[in-house]
Amino acid sequence: MEIIDLKTLKIEANKEIDNTADLKSLDDIDKKYLGKKGELTRILRSLQILPKEKRANMGKAANEVKNVLKQKIEIKRKEIGKDVIIADKERIDATRPGKAPIQGHLHILTQTRREVEEIFRSMGFEVAEGPEVENEWYNFDALNIPKNHPARDVWDTFWLKSAKERLLLRTHTSPVQIHYMETHKPPLRIIVPGNVFRHEATDQRHEFQLFQVEGLMVDKDISVPNFKAIVGEFFRRFFNKNMGFRLRPDFFPFTEPSFDIGMTCLICEGKGCQLCKGSGFLEVAGAGMVHPNVFKASGVDPKKWKGWAFGFGLDRLAMMKYKINDVRLFRSGDMRFLNQF
Amino acid sequence: MEEVKKEGKDFSMDIDIRPNRAKDCLSHKGVAREIGAILNLKLKPEIIKIKETKENAEKLFKVLVKDKKACPRYNARLVKNVKVSKSPEWIQERLKSCGLRPINNIVDATNYIMLETGQPLHVFDMDKIAGREIIVRKAKMGEKITSLDNEKYDLDGNILIIADRESPLAIAGIKGGKKAEIDSKTKEIVLEAANFNQQSVRYASKQIGLKTDSSLRFEHGIDPNITKISINKAAYLIQEIAGGEVYAGIIDVYPKKISPKKINLDLDYINSLLGVKVSRAETENILKRLEFITKRIPGNKLKVTVPTFRLDVSIQEDIIEDIGRIFGYLKVPSIFPLAEIAPPKRNNEVFWEDFTRDVLKEAGFNETINYSFISQKDLEIFGLVGDSDILELENPLSTDFKYLRPSLIPNILKNIEKNQKTFKNIKIFEFGKVFRSPRTETKMIAGAVIGSDFYEVKGAVEFLFNKSGIKGAEYKNCKATEKGIFIPEASSEIVINGDQIGFLGEISQQILKKLKIDGKVVAFDLNFEKLVKLSSEQREYSPIPKYPPALRDLAVLVPKTVTVKEVADKIRNSGKPLAGNVELFDFYEGKELPQGMKNLAFRVIYQSEEKTLNAGEIDQAHRKIIDSLEKESGWQVRK
Repeated sequence: MEIIDLKTLKIEANKEIDNTADLKSLDDIDKKYLGKKGELTRILRSLQILPKEKRANMGKAANEVKNVLKQKIEIKRKEIGKDVIIADKERIDATRPGKAPIQGHLHILTQTRREVEEIFRSMGFEVAEGPEVENEWYNFDALNIPKNHPARDVWDTFWLKSAKERLLLRTHTSPVQIHYMETHKPPLRIIVPGNVFRHEATDQRHEFQLFQVEGLMVDKDISVPNFKAIVGEFFRRFFNKNMGFRLRPDFFPFTEPSFDIGMTCLICEGKGCQLCKGSGFLEVAGAGMVHPNVFKASGVDPKKWKGWAFGFGLDRLAMMKYKINDVRLFRSGDMRFLNQF
Repeated sequence: MEEVKKEGKDFSMDIDIRPNRAKDCLSHKGVAREIGAILNLKLKPEIIKIKETKENAEKLFKVLVKDKKACPRYNARLVKNVKVSKSPEWIQERLKSCGLRPINNIVDATNYIMLETGQPLHVFDMDKIAGREIIVRKAKMGEKITSLDNEKYDLDGNILIIADRESPLAIAGIKGGKKAEIDSKTKEIVLEAANFNQQSVRYASKQIGLKTDSSLRFEHGIDPNITKISINKAAYLIQEIAGGEVYAGIIDVYPKKISPKKINLDLDYINSLLGVKVSRAETENILKRLEFITKRIPGNKLKVTVPTFRLDVSIQEDIIEDIGRIFGYLKVPSIFPLAEIAPPKRNNEVFWEDFTRDVLKEAGFNETINYSFISQKDLEIFGLVGDSDILELENPLSTDFKYLRPSLIPNILKNIEKNQKTFKNIKIFEFGKVFRSPRTETKMIAGAVIGSDFYEVKGAVEFLFNKSGIKGAEYKNCKATEKGIFIPEASSEIVINGDQIGFLGEISQQILKKLKIDGKVVAFDLNFEKLVKLSSEQREYSPIPKYPPALRDLAVLVPKTVTVKEVADKIRNSGKPLAGNVELFDFYEGKELPQGMKNLAFRVIYQSEEKTLNAGEIDQAHRKIIDSLEKESGWQVRK
C-alpha cells in the first residue's frame, strides 16, 4: 500500500511540477510534498512503525523519490526565474535612496564662465587674460580716463602700498583691451574673463571682488547693429530663451557712443516689478564703440579700424540664471552652497 | 531716471547724471534742455527784470584776478538795502527736496540759482570786505580760513582763494568763510558768479577734504559763458524776495573769452558707426534741437558749431553719440558682422586650467573661490609678519582684507574650518593667483583634505600629473619647508626636472589649532604656470603583451629610514630587462618586526616581448633581484 502510494505520489508530483509555470505555485508544490508537513515527510515519518528491514527498503525508496523531486523542483525553479531566488537579506527595497558616488563640484562661477566662453568661442572670439595688479596708465589713462578727472571717481579703487610706481587692483577688465591690442594686430575678437576689484561696501547685491567678462571686436567695417546681433545671440543662448534686451545711451570714457544693455527682467518678463524697479528691464552690461583715444593709446589707427567693446559681471549673470539671491555666497566657501552645482 | 517721488502737490525726479554730462546737466535747466531736445519742445524764455540804481558797481568795488588760469572768469554784482530774513516757503521747500538746508533769503537765492543753472554762486557782506576789493589769488603757505560752518582749514600755495586786502574770504569754488558772512544786520552784498578751473578745485577739495555742491559742479567743469545769466537771475531773485536794490552794471573779469568749437561731421561716418541711415535733414534736425548750429559743406559733411555749455563734445564721435541717442537705439537693427570665419585660437593656459579643474573634480574635490586677500591675523598665524614680499593695500576695506594673498592655503584652510561643523570629510581646491612684491602674479592650484591621509592626497596629485601627461615627478621628503606651514616629517617637496613645482603634506598642528580646525589636514600647493609648461595632450597606445606575464611577490625588511623609492629602484634596476613592472602592495611597520625596521612587499611582473617565460628563467631573474637586495647592509629579503 505504501509502495503504491509512493509511486502515485511521484507521478502526481511530477505532473504538477511539469504543469506549473510560476514560482508561487512551485513553492506550493515544494511545500506540499517536501515541506515539514508535506506528503513525503509524512510517509517517511510513518515508516517508524514498520519492521526493520522493510523500513530500510521503504526509507531508501522514499528518500530517492524525495531527492528526485527536490532536484526537479530546483531545475524547474531555475527555468522559471533564474536568479530571483535570493536570500531575504539580499532582497532590495527599491524606494530606499541610492548611495551617491563620491563626486567633486566645479564652482558655479567656473561653470558660468565656461558657458560664456563657449558661446563666444563659437562666434570666433578668443579668450585673453591680463594682470590683476595694474598701473594707472592701463587702468585709467589709456582708457581715456585722465588724471585729476572726476570720471575716475566712478571707479572706487584699491591702491597698493608700493614704493615706486603707483599700483592698483584693476577696477575692470578693460585694461586687457590695451594689453591685447599692443601685442596683436586687428582684426581681432576677444573675450576677457577675470577678477576685478571695487572699493565699496558689500551687501546682497554688491561685492568688492567680482568676476567680469570683457568683449572686444575690432575690424574695418564694424557698427552698432553688429554689436546688437552678437549680444542678442549671447543672451538667447545663455538663458536658453528668446531674451528681449535694449540699448540705452550711457557714458563710459573708453567708448563713444556708449550704451547700457538692459535685459528683459527675468522675474516679471518686462511687466515691471520690484527687482527691476518697474522698468521691466535689468541692466546687465555696459558697452559702446571703442573711443579713438583708446585705439591711439594701444597703437591702433582709429582711421583704419573700428570696434566695439562690452563688459558685464559674471556674478550678476549667474545670479539671474540660477536665482541666487546673495552675491556674497560665491566667495563664502560654504559647501552647502558649492555642492548644489 | 532713478526714482520719482511725490512731494506735496509736486513731484521730484531723481536722475542719474553720468560724469560727461555733469558739465551741463547738474541743473534743472540742463535737464529741461535735454528733455526739450528729446521731445522736440522749446524752452520757455527766461524773464529777468532787474531795476538798477543809477550808481555803477564798478565805481564802488574792485575785482582783481591774479591767477587767470585757475579763474578764467569772475562776475560780481552789488546789491544794497537787502532785508535778511527767512526765504518764502516755496523756495525753502524746493531747496529741501533737493537736499539743501535753507539758511536765509540771500544765501537761499544763490543756492536756488545754482540748482537752476548749474552755476555755483557766492555772496559776501560788502561791509566786511576790507578795502572794498576782491582779490582772487593762490593762498599763501600757512594761511588759514574759518568756514561758514566754523571749520578751520589750513591752506597751501596751490589752493585758490577769494580774499580781500587782508585775509581769505572763501576757498574758491568750494566754501565761503566766516569773515564776510551774511548776517541779520547785512545791508549791502557782493554777489559772485565765477568760473574756476576744474583741476584747481579738484585739487583743493581733495587737499582740505571737503566736497560741496559747488565743488562737485566745478570739478566736472562748467561753461564760463553761463556766469552772467546766473548772476543776473540771482540779483533778480534777491530783488524780489529780499527787497534789495541792484547797482548798475556787472563787474566782469573775462580776459580770454571762450568761443564755440567747430567740428566737421562726416555724414557717411554716422551711418558706418551707427549702422543706420540717418538722412542729412534728420541729422540737421536732431542737432538743431540740441542747440548745435550746422552748416552744409562739400563732401557730404556738416560744419557743426557746438554750444559752449556742451563741454563734453570735442570730436565727431561725440556728436554721433548725440545723434544716436536722439535717433533712438531701438531703431538700430541687429546684423551679424561680416568677418573671417577663422576659428579662434585656443588659449592654452585657459585650456589647461579647465582641464586641471576637471581632473580634480573627477578625483572628488570641490572647487572653492575665495577673495584674493588675507588678513592681518593670517599673517601672524602663517608666520608671514615682516615678509617684505607681501603686497599691502593702501586703503583696505577692513583688516580682514589688508594684504594680497601670497598663497592660496590660508583661505582654503579657513574654508575647512567653516565647513567642519556640517561636513566630516572635506576635499576642496582652489585655482587662482597669488601675489608678490613688486608686482608678481602667479597662478597656483592648491587643495586641502580633511578625513584622509598623506598618501590619498598624494594619489590625487599623481592622478592629476598622470592625466595631464606630466612625467618625472619626484617626491622628496622635506627637511624644513616654507615658513613652517607643513610638518616637515609628514610633507614632501615636489620636483620635476630639478625644478620645484610645489609642496604636499600635512599642515602644521599649531596652525590648525589657531584656526580652530580639529583633525589632520593634508594639503597640496602647486605652481600652475610651471605645470602648464610640462603638460601634454600626447597619448600613445602601448601594445598589449603577446605573451603571458609572470607574477612574483617579494617582501623586504629594511630600516625605516630607507625609502620605498630606493628599494623599488633597486628591484627595477637589478631585474632588467624582464622585470617590467614593480609595485608596492603592502607596507608594514609593527611590533612584531625588529626595532627600527619596516616590511615592504612588492609585486614584480616579469614579461618578455619575445616568448612565454619558463619557470627557470623567471627564477633566475628573481634570484638576481634578491641577491642585489641582500647586498645592502641591514636589508633582508623575507623568504
